[in-house]
Amino acid sequence: MKINYSLITRRTFLNTLFGGWVFAMLSGSIYALLKFAFPTLGKEPDFVVLNANDFLNIPPNSVKPFAWGGKLGFFFKKEDGVITALKGVCTHMECNVTYKPEQKKFYCACHKGWFDEDGKNIEGPPPKPLEFFDIKVEKEKLVVARKGFTFELPKA
Amino acid sequence: MLLPERGSRLSCQRLKNWIEERYDFEGIKRLAAQKVIPVHRYEIWYYTGGIAMFLFILQFITGMVLSMYYIPHLEHAHKSIIEIVTKLNMGWFFRSVHHWGAQLAIIFVFIHVFSTLLLKAYRKPRELTWVTGFVLLVISIFFGLSGYLLLWDERAFAAVRVATGGAGNLPLVGGFIKAFLRGGIDVTGETLTRFYAFHVAILPIITIFLIGIHLMLVQMQGMSVPVSIEKKPHKTTPFFPNMLYKDLMVWLVMLGIMVSLAVFFPPEIGKKADTLAPPPENIKPEWYFLFLFQTLKLFPGEILGMNGETIAIVLISLGVLFFFLIPFFDRKSSRGEPSPVFTWIGIIYTLYFVVMTVIGFLT
Repeated sequence: MKINYSLITRRTFLNTLFGGWVFAMLSGSIYALLKFAFPTLGKEPDFVVLNANDFLNIPPNSVKPFAWGGKLGFFFKKEDGVITALKGVCTHMECNVTYKPEQKKFYCACHKGWFDEDGKNIEGPPPKPLEFFDIKVEKEKLVVARKGFTFELPKA
Repeated sequence: MLLPERGSRLSCQRLKNWIEERYDFEGIKRLAAQKVIPVHRYEIWYYTGGIAMFLFILQFITGMVLSMYYIPHLEHAHKSIIEIVTKLNMGWFFRSVHHWGAQLAIIFVFIHVFSTLLLKAYRKPRELTWVTGFVLLVISIFFGLSGYLLLWDERAFAAVRVATGGAGNLPLVGGFIKAFLRGGIDVTGETLTRFYAFHVAILPIITIFLIGIHLMLVQMQGMSVPVSIEKKPHKTTPFFPNMLYKDLMVWLVMLGIMVSLAVFFPPEIGKKADTLAPPPENIKPEWYFLFLFQTLKLFPGEILGMNGETIAIVLISLGVLFFFLIPFFDRKSSRGEPSPVFTWIGIIYTLYFVVMTVIGFLT
């Protein structure tokens, strides 16, 4: 069937073409700008490799800080000698926490949040427990990794 | 003939009503509808100002994002640029676009000023438009020089030493200008911090202010028509939408050229500047300094017992000053009469700039 009028006017066609051009150009430019403005750098790492001798010999019931990417990590030896590692960052507003050995608790000074030695949020505003990591000692190296991340040290 | 309803038009009638109930745009609408552009054989030169403005806007945008990562410090400046181009998403692209945008912006500022000169668009009543435009030209060059030092590579270091040292040869005020630009007796980390301040804070504010005045004057007085055409009847075309669409098309082409140059010819970065090392061989300034560079070469070291460099700088300054004051000297064209003397002066200035730049480029 032939229709004897156009479904769109010439004006509509041109406006759509023009609008489409503006949209395509702006969205492309804004996408590139946003990609640049939100960098890939500074992401949290999947794992860090530390020197085991610096950490394994700390006294019980104490912590030793290490760099988890740009954030604070704690190597933690409990009173009974169990070793573990955790992110020393409060789950409430991302302040760094401190370990209070006499109470065996982690404390965040920003809004008076408390966590027990298993990282459980027990008092104050923190909504979630602290994040713990997997650790593995291989020869001289201490590998701290995000839970569930499988890692292998290079052979050489 | 039946026509379907125009449904594709984006209409936000409620928003329009909301605004119209509060603000009176009738005056602006009437002005916009009245704005016309003369049609004649030289109308192509009307585009150059718009292109320069478009390129400046893009420079502002790319500059803003680059400043999020650039570190203006002696120790880190060079490395931070290498990190921008190697480690960041699209970093290479934005640095490259900023580089080529700057080159094109200066090219179009020059084309704009020389076309204004040759068509005598500076004549009464547009002297102040010329003055603001001239200052914007100087600022563009200073933008280029200050942005160039931020790389803190060998070439930039040598170029800024020469440029600021050249300004130091001006009699009386030279020493002050040199010390002010360098922030000390030599080009150091202080100069880098200072040039960063010029490049990202001081010059942009002045630029926005001057472009504002420049555009306002153009809106108030309309486009200039060359003397030879002014008296004859000529057609006009509405700015909205005819000229605006043409402007947009030209800008799109410019954007394409700029992005293509940026992608295919990314700028290099030299070795980190060493204040004690000799400058690299065959060093040349940026192309928009070549005409000055070549002029300086023409002068011997000593003329009749005086420092040749000082004489050269004084003569160049006088030449630039005369150029700046042309609208006030050219009495004939301000009366609307042909002014062949100034046509020749314009041609000589243009040829001098072009020829010296080409010679500097080829040698």
